Amino acid sequence: MSLLEFARGPAIHASLIIMVAGIALRLLGVLVLTRGADLSRPRDAFGNFKGYRMVFSRAWPSDEFTTPTRYQTIVAYIFHVATLIVVVGIVPHIEFIASLTGLSWPGLPNWMGVALGTIALASLIALILRRLSKPAVYNSTRGDYVTWVIVALPLITGLMAFAHVGLRYETMLALHILSSALLFAYMPFSKLMHAFWFVFSRAQSGLAYAHKGVRI
Amino acid sequence: MTTAAQTPVFPTFEQVFQGLAGQIGQLRKMAPGPTMPAARRLRRAVDTLIEETNADEAVWLESCIHCGQCTTACHYFQATGEAKYAPMRKMDLYRRVYQREISPLRWWYKLVTRPVKLSDFEEAQELVYDSCSECGRCTMVCPMGIDTASLVHHMRSAMVAAELVPPELAALRMEQKSMGTVFGSSPEALKKMVDTIREHYGIDIPLDKEKADVMVLSSAVDLVANGNGLLATARVMNHLRVDWTICSDGFESANFGLLSGDMDLWAKQVDPIVAAARRIGAKTLVIAECGHAYPALRWNPMLRSGGLPFEMMYMSEYLGKQARLGNLKLRPLEGKVTYHDPCKTGRRGGAFDEPRAVLEAMDADFVELPANKEYNWCCGGGAGIFLLERATRLRDESFKIKLRQVNETGAEAVIVSCASCRLNFEAGRQKNKWDKRVDSLVELVADHLIDENDTAAAEGVRA
Repeated sequence: MSLLEFARGPAIHASLIIMVAGIALRLLGVLVLTRGADLSRPRDAFGNFKGYRMVFSRAWPSDEFTTPTRYQTIVAYIFHVATLIVVVGIVPHIEFIASLTGLSWPGLPNWMGVALGTIALASLIALILRRLSKPAVYNSTRGDYVTWVIVALPLITGLMAFAHVGLRYETMLALHILSSALLFAYMPFSKLMHAFWFVFSRAQSGLAYAHKGVRI
Repeated sequence: MTTAAQTPVFPTFEQVFQGLAGQIGQLRKMAPGPTMPAARRLRRAVDTLIEETNADEAVWLESCIHCGQCTTACHYFQATGEAKYAPMRKMDLYRRVYQREISPLRWWYKLVTRPVKLSDFEEAQELVYDSCSECGRCTMVCPMGIDTASLVHHMRSAMVAAELVPPELAALRMEQKSMGTVFGSSPEALKKMVDTIREHYGIDIPLDKEKADVMVLSSAVDLVANGNGLLATARVMNHLRVDWTICSDGFESANFGLLSGDMDLWAKQVDPIVAAARRIGAKTLVIAECGHAYPALRWNPMLRSGGLPFEMMYMSEYLGKQARLGNLKLRPLEGKVTYHDPCKTGRRGGAFDEPRAVLEAMDADFVELPANKEYNWCCGGGAGIFLLERATRLRDESFKIKLRQVNETGAEAVIVSCASCRLNFEAGRQKNKWDKRVDSLVELVADHLIDENDTAAAEGVRA
């Protein structure tokens, strides 16, 4: 079995199993915990439901915090959007998804894939530079750096394979798939789980404050 | 008006502040030290966190991505720029306990995280007491919406279990645990204050009526230091001609159970107040201008308040409601003023509109702070921090944010409705030789009442 066959076969499949099982374990393990009851009378009998809007409203900082959070917010958005489009939009990825699920859709032109991948990598670098330059603000842990590396690797190897730079194409492709497998398997153990937590976390706070008649 | 009324018997708030500062110094000497062996204290702290962790806390602990945005909202971080005061750091120890003891991946975290030691809790003491007023401002910016203030409160609970409450709060907690009140206040002190107010000002405070529609709370600060607070309350209540009383078996607003993190004491302090209100058939319970008393009573998560026969209101809410009903006859307020929302009644309480309605009823030239209502900056003294000597630098530095905000409005006076905020503002005013006035809402209202007796007397003089 060549490295590429290993990457395309057992490696990626095992990582996807770890990812799905891990996410399910971590999400369910937390969400089945009891909910602490707030027995106090709400300010407005049906007002608590207004709290759910925080799930959406917190997608952008309020005016009060626009200026100090501008860099982080804009660069993080660029990173998330560009990465997401590359993950589901370029032809090789669609073929991989089709091989797993049978679903497929038209892919982006190659130049656009390269452009978006480059933008994603550039924004990721912009984020780590800011993290490194302001240690007091970020209080970074080893996990923050490990996560950054594990997220950056598939982007770097993907772009290199696509551009035919570095090692032989088959090797670069294998490394790209292996680094993606590492990302999948790492996800449930890391802060990447925020992809799920944000919905619950925002809703909880929105409800707790709406209970007191405060819109946050 | 009697002649006695013209000679003030109560100290000015400037003197109140200086007197109280001396008393606070005494507290440190009275603080109880740890009595249990270290291993037991650690176990109790960890067990407390395990017991208090529900799905809400677990999700919030899981959600932090270290994006650093909370630092832009925190007055202690903004004032110092020191990494350890970043709000996200305040939940680090709690998260480690959660990961190792509760998380569904605890087998994994036990491999990759360090075991928790008592010294970790000792180090965290400064983070959850001195440098977090549980004001909740960081929740307003957090992209995940994490309620750090709630997590800090659970940490305070663990600190109580580990006998790691800072000395001033520990002394007051012990005093309230044994006496029910603090600062040497008592039903006798209340009786004495009521008599003083009657004798010197000719103002009657109906103490211990058998039945009354409105039950009013007082606070130790008013009884042992700031008599003007209770005097103002009495003048306003009498002006409104409501059927009101103060109960000597349930008058204390202050709750050092909540402030220290002692949930049992918090719950226990509420019982006599609720019992007294039930007994006298009160329809409304008015909480004195003591910020944390509002969450201690009105938002007490352990008290099923929907089932109580009375409604609980903060003083500013009650005044606002009466102002809207047109029951408060007030003279116009001179000069430009601004209003500071105490964290506990504002962002974490929701009483925003009522105090503003009072100012409107006084026809005030009112200007909002640049950051107001749910975005208001904490004064730096909340959640008991005003009492901690060790936190003086943090308080003084963070107060400068408030100072700048008030200066920006161009107001002559800042109005507060919380004894704790007011004391902290007074400290800041004196230290910075600040040219602004700091007024309490209820005292301001009392000073601007148009009393029918006064009007009659004035007409008498003219005639």
